[in-house]
Amino acid sequence: MSKLFKLLSLFLAVGVVAAACSSDSSDDAGTAAPAETTAAPATTAVELDADGSLLDTVIARGTLNCGVSGSAVAFSETQADGSVTGFDADYCRAVAAAVLGDADAVNFVALTASERFTAVQTGDVDLLMRNTTWTQSRDSDVGMDFGPTTYYDGQQLMARVGDGFDASSTVADLDGAIVCTNAGTTTEKNIAEAAELAGADIELLAFETSDEVYETFIAGGCDITTTDGSALVGRKVKQQPADQEWVIFPATPISKEPLGPTYGQNDSAWADAINWTVYATIIMDEWGVTSANVDDHVNDPGEVGRLLGGEGELQTVMGLSADAFYNVISQVGNYSEIYNSNLNPVGLVREGSANAGWLDGGLIYAPPAR
Amino acid sequence: MSDLNITGVEGTVAIKPPPETPKLPPREWLKENLFSNKFNTLLTLFSTAILLMISRGLLSFIFNPERQWGSTATNLRLMMTQAYPEEQYMRVWVSVAVIFTLVGASMAIWNAGSRVTLRRLGSFLLSSGVVINILTLLAPFSGQAKLIWLIIGSAVAGAGGTLLRVSDKDKNISSLTLVVATLTAAILSLWIVPFGHHSFVFERTPRSMAETGTVALTTKLPWTIMVVIGILAYFFGKTMTSRFPSKNLRPTIIGIWFLTPPTLLYLVLRDPDFDMGHVLNTDIPIFLIFAIAGGILLSWLTRPTTGEIGRVCAALVLLAGFGMFFTPMRMIIRILMLLLATFALAAPTFAGDSKKQRRYVLAWIGVSGIITWLVTAVNTPSTIEVPGDFFLGGVSLTLLVAIFTIVISFPIGILLALARTSKMPIFRILSTWFIEFVRGIPLITILIFFSIMVPLFLPKGMELSEVSAIVIGYSLFSAAYLAENVRGGLQSVTRGQHEAAEAVGMTTSQKTFFIVLPQALRVSIPPLVGHCIGVFKETSLLAIIGLFDILYIARNVIPNQTEFLGSTRENLLFVSLIYFFFAYQMSKASQRLERRVGLGER
Repeated sequence: MSKLFKLLSLFLAVGVVAAACSSDSSDDAGTAAPAETTAAPATTAVELDADGSLLDTVIARGTLNCGVSGSAVAFSETQADGSVTGFDADYCRAVAAAVLGDADAVNFVALTASERFTAVQTGDVDLLMRNTTWTQSRDSDVGMDFGPTTYYDGQQLMARVGDGFDASSTVADLDGAIVCTNAGTTTEKNIAEAAELAGADIELLAFETSDEVYETFIAGGCDITTTDGSALVGRKVKQQPADQEWVIFPATPISKEPLGPTYGQNDSAWADAINWTVYATIIMDEWGVTSANVDDHVNDPGEVGRLLGGEGELQTVMGLSADAFYNVISQVGNYSEIYNSNLNPVGLVREGSANAGWLDGGLIYAPPAR
Repeated sequence: MSDLNITGVEGTVAIKPPPETPKLPPREWLKENLFSNKFNTLLTLFSTAILLMISRGLLSFIFNPERQWGSTATNLRLMMTQAYPEEQYMRVWVSVAVIFTLVGASMAIWNAGSRVTLRRLGSFLLSSGVVINILTLLAPFSGQAKLIWLIIGSAVAGAGGTLLRVSDKDKNISSLTLVVATLTAAILSLWIVPFGHHSFVFERTPRSMAETGTVALTTKLPWTIMVVIGILAYFFGKTMTSRFPSKNLRPTIIGIWFLTPPTLLYLVLRDPDFDMGHVLNTDIPIFLIFAIAGGILLSWLTRPTTGEIGRVCAALVLLAGFGMFFTPMRMIIRILMLLLATFALAAPTFAGDSKKQRRYVLAWIGVSGIITWLVTAVNTPSTIEVPGDFFLGGVSLTLLVAIFTIVISFPIGILLALARTSKMPIFRILSTWFIEFVRGIPLITILIFFSIMVPLFLPKGMELSEVSAIVIGYSLFSAAYLAENVRGGLQSVTRGQHEAAEAVGMTTSQKTFFIVLPQALRVSIPPLVGHCIGVFKETSLLAIIGLFDILYIARNVIPNQTEFLGSTRENLLFVSLIYFFFAYQMSKASQRLERRVGLGER
């Protein structure tokens, strides 16, 4: 009895492993077509699906796989109930609203910085909204295409006023300072480059997580912290102790960090759908159409009416439904709404920043919809 | 400590208990042990000072008003199960209840617990009361809180002192009663003490809600029910023990323990959305064909008269199984074929009269039925909708990976150890190479390899979820280390044991499984448990490949929520407590096991 029993438990253990092997696979081997695209090696561009655009795949699937960070303050935070919110997350939802008509049809995939591009190439995600800076090498060599920039960021520095820094300080004032930053990111390279150009001699301390950087900064372990301006503002609002006063400088960032949607290259239909989702939120912001009043503007003449449905051929030609952008505005909101609801709580405001509309002296601009 | 050891030994072997050391009065004890000479006095004072400073630092860290403990309280659910949907949470509670039931019943069936003398309890209470008071004086409390804690500490110390004075020398109490009393007190405190009510409200900003009062009903009610279920299960186990012989009861419970993790995971928590039409016209027929054809084949193979031709047949089935595994077809067919091959190969060992044959065929039908059921469940889409590609995270993912890895790596590790000490060169060389190769690679490399590369190597039409790939890779890694621990045990079994087994006419497999392995495993308990604890703790490497294990959530996710920016240290402290809790339980369990098998005593 017990010998048989031991054998049975061994079989069961082996069987469970075997069962796990097949988990989440499609049962029918013949129909496992989407799985085959996973064979793309990591360094080459994603192969264009022979039978069409990713747009059709996403529509057929019914959900959008959107790659986010999942741990980026105000851009894509994982909330206490496991849901993902933030500026980037809202743009994922906007694309889902445009393509699928339902802003909630998003499967958020949390990606680390190192695995994000591979995830696009292997088809694990359809779209990357993971505060990814648009750079030449990523656009060409890595095989990505970049959509319109949704957030213009730039690397800045933060120091204590008590150490003699103020808003007009420059990188040249850093001579002899200890600078803390995240390890292995471009911020590290940028500050080293900027300090060398300005002739300042700095000591760099790199940490694995941002929190360790600010812990050290608060405790006095370093004079300066540096990272993207958006993150610095958030930290200043939330973490500045009562006995310190922090200041962010220089006014002109030491690097350009345009952040926006990223997707596999050479898929024009898919790119158009994403780009025009972003443009639609910007245009609606220019016209003052919000999620609250969008229903009053559906039959407006001109650009607003055309985007919100109207005759609709502009959208249907793209492979979207005529009311695609109506769904975006009504379910997610226009650019200002997305920006303000996510970024105001961490102290980031549009007025006066590069992310103001072009009419207000900012860089947020969209081509005309006609 | 030594008291416990003595009671354990008394239960197993009837040796004379060692002479009791006479208890010294406290003053003399202090003098003897802490202030016996100048150097000792200095050492005592010095280490006391260090200890007090550490406690003070820790307390002022924990009770600093700047600490965002709300981040831990609000995100408890995220840390336990990540994004598992709230409306489906009943499934999590059912799983916890099943585990509580099994724990309660097993404790009754294995006669867990020992007797603790009331005096021992009294001195424990007295010293903890004193410690509470000292810590209260060190902590940065307000006047009122300090007073409350001083009263609590004095009450505990007073109770202990009274118990010490009043109770007889031999009066004792079951340790299980103490555990239940502590649990009940903890549960009651959830209903009475205003720990604070933290919750997450999606619709508003700021999104978390912190109010005074007792903890949320969704926390305290389920846990109360769980404790009640555990206690009831204990009494149920007691009645079972009196009705059935433990010879049958214990294997049944062990079997249930083995089946529980996959069942809970795949059927309860994952909630497969079965397509009945597909199940009826595909899965059930496949199972029936295999059950009947396999049954006929096995009943022929187990006939004693079949002989060599049976082994050839079994080998053919195995070849066919391998061939089919790498050809595109339904997963279930490939798995059942391999399973049938394994059964066919083992068949001659179970050959015998028709009763034995029938039992073997029934075993085949049972196992293949369970496997069919599991594979169908795994391949059915889940109704649980969560962001990301796995439906669990946090503590449950950590536990899941650890449990599956430990359970799977055990048989593999033992087989590797046997192969490495085997006389057959092929097995020995292969196993040595495998072990040395795996031990030469860092775990993180293996995890990255299995999460990124292995899915690309799989045969067409076969997909592996990231978590399963990781579990397989981690199991292989763990098995290599485990094999070395077991090998140490195998080599400690003396030559005489082998010769004695051979002298009574045992076959090699009988000798290995009934004489050598039991002794070897008994000796290797301490390193094996150390290994298991290591496996559990090293699941924290999952954070590096971006899986939402508890460390990743505490270190990367929560400190990046707008409301709780910069709350890493609080959450890391909490996570370390969780790791400590589980690791300590494993270590305690192994100590009990060692006492049960009399390790280090004979």
